[in-house]
Amino acid sequence: MAKTFLYNNHIKLGAKMVDFAGWEMPVQYTSIIEEHNNVRNNAGLFDVSHMGEIFVSGNDALNFLQTLVPQNVEKLIDKKALYCQFTNEKGGIVDDLLIYKLKESHYLLIVNASRLEADYTWLVNHKSNFDVTIDNKSDIYSMVALQGPKASDILSEVGIKKENQPKTFYIDKYKLLNEDILISRTGYTGEDGFEIIIRNEKVSELWELILEKGKPYGIMPIGLGARDTLRLEAAMSLYGNELNENTTPVEAGLSWTVDKDKKQDYIGKNIILNQIQLGTDKKLIAFKMIDKAIARHEYPIYSDNKEIGHVTSGCVAPAIGQNIGLGYINNKNLKINDTIQIMIRNKLYNAQITDKNFIKKHNKGN
Amino acid sequence: MTVKNNILCSKSHEYVFEENGEYYIGITDYAIEQLGDIVFVELPEINSQYTKGEIFGTIESVKAASEIYMPVSGKVTAINEQLIEKPELLNEKAFDEMWLIKVSSENYAEDSNDLQKYEEYKKEVE
Repeated sequence: MAKTFLYNNHIKLGAKMVDFAGWEMPVQYTSIIEEHNNVRNNAGLFDVSHMGEIFVSGNDALNFLQTLVPQNVEKLIDKKALYCQFTNEKGGIVDDLLIYKLKESHYLLIVNASRLEADYTWLVNHKSNFDVTIDNKSDIYSMVALQGPKASDILSEVGIKKENQPKTFYIDKYKLLNEDILISRTGYTGEDGFEIIIRNEKVSELWELILEKGKPYGIMPIGLGARDTLRLEAAMSLYGNELNENTTPVEAGLSWTVDKDKKQDYIGKNIILNQIQLGTDKKLIAFKMIDKAIARHEYPIYSDNKEIGHVTSGCVAPAIGQNIGLGYINNKNLKINDTIQIMIRNKLYNAQITDKNFIKKHNKGN
Repeated sequence: MTVKNNILCSKSHEYVFEENGEYYIGITDYAIEQLGDIVFVELPEINSQYTKGEIFGTIESVKAASEIYMPVSGKVTAINEQLIEKPELLNEKAFDEMWLIKVSSENYAEDSNDLQKYEEYKKEVE
């Protein structure tokens, strides 16, 4: 199993380690609920070094990327981030990712650890005659995420003053610990926060520095367990759960990431635009449990005693004190506030379809 | 922490001990530690009968649902009601205080043959 350059830091902090996408990662340090609430109330530091960093550059970088995603990369201004998906011929999702425009003809792609190889192959296979360089630097860089309402205060203490910090969904270059680093104001928690990309050799020092400077603000290291409950509470999709190669962005509730007016062709365009126009039977819903039970990945969803779909993610939502979930149903008639049932250990339990705002986003977003 | 001296543990991390003719069944401190934050406990009906090795309930942590198995055969005479409302007591209190169910057992000596003494069990899992 692969280890990040923060492995020893995690062991020193008493983390419980698990296998995630071939990486030995901390699932929790103290308690998932405590860590979850600390990110909502104060701040948390995550090791996300397992994620992939792929640089795409060259004269055709923009045109090349345009053929791969339903978003319009042309609209990206310098230093801005765009959430998008690589789509296949069926409109299915190869991976979801962030594309950052570092400068003209230079893009950084942050992709899921579990999909890094598939993504890199996908990029190389579709390069054709484009004048681009595809550079997978995932083995050189580590990444940490500093998230929570105190994240900006802590980053300021670390040495990046507030007025210099990137704005929400922007990225910029900084100098810290005598290193050139990249900081973006993005994350996967529904909170304000930053993701910091730094060379492997320096990440341990950065980790220690942030934890030390963050101490007065109540910072805690946060494991993958709370990362999952935080993203689910913020109704963000996880590749492998909500997203896969047989699910389109439209079905996944990501139509807002499809530019309907985009002129250029991209893989799966016809199917995706068709679905936007006609709607789809399959759709992602959010739900709250009414009965006292917890829905989990792959539990069947019922309506009128008929199986209509399945749960993709479910958990207790610590910040709202309810059991929540996401899932796919094949039923056009069901709407928000309607009751469905979840099959849990051979019994049906009531749940209610809700909108995807499980938590009111308390992003400061400046 | 003092652990009851007649406590016996199963490979699947349940325990059983006898007190005043009643048999108390729960999950071990190691199991609780592995599960992390426990958020839900589902226990059987009183008077239901289970044979050794059968699933009698479910414990859910934030991450996952885990089934719990009978370490011995028996008929359920009581469930630990406070865990239904406050499953987190399993994390907070001594594990052998927070039993899940009480059972009557017909063949305890025979059923408990393959169970391990707590000290031996701990040595094995740690």
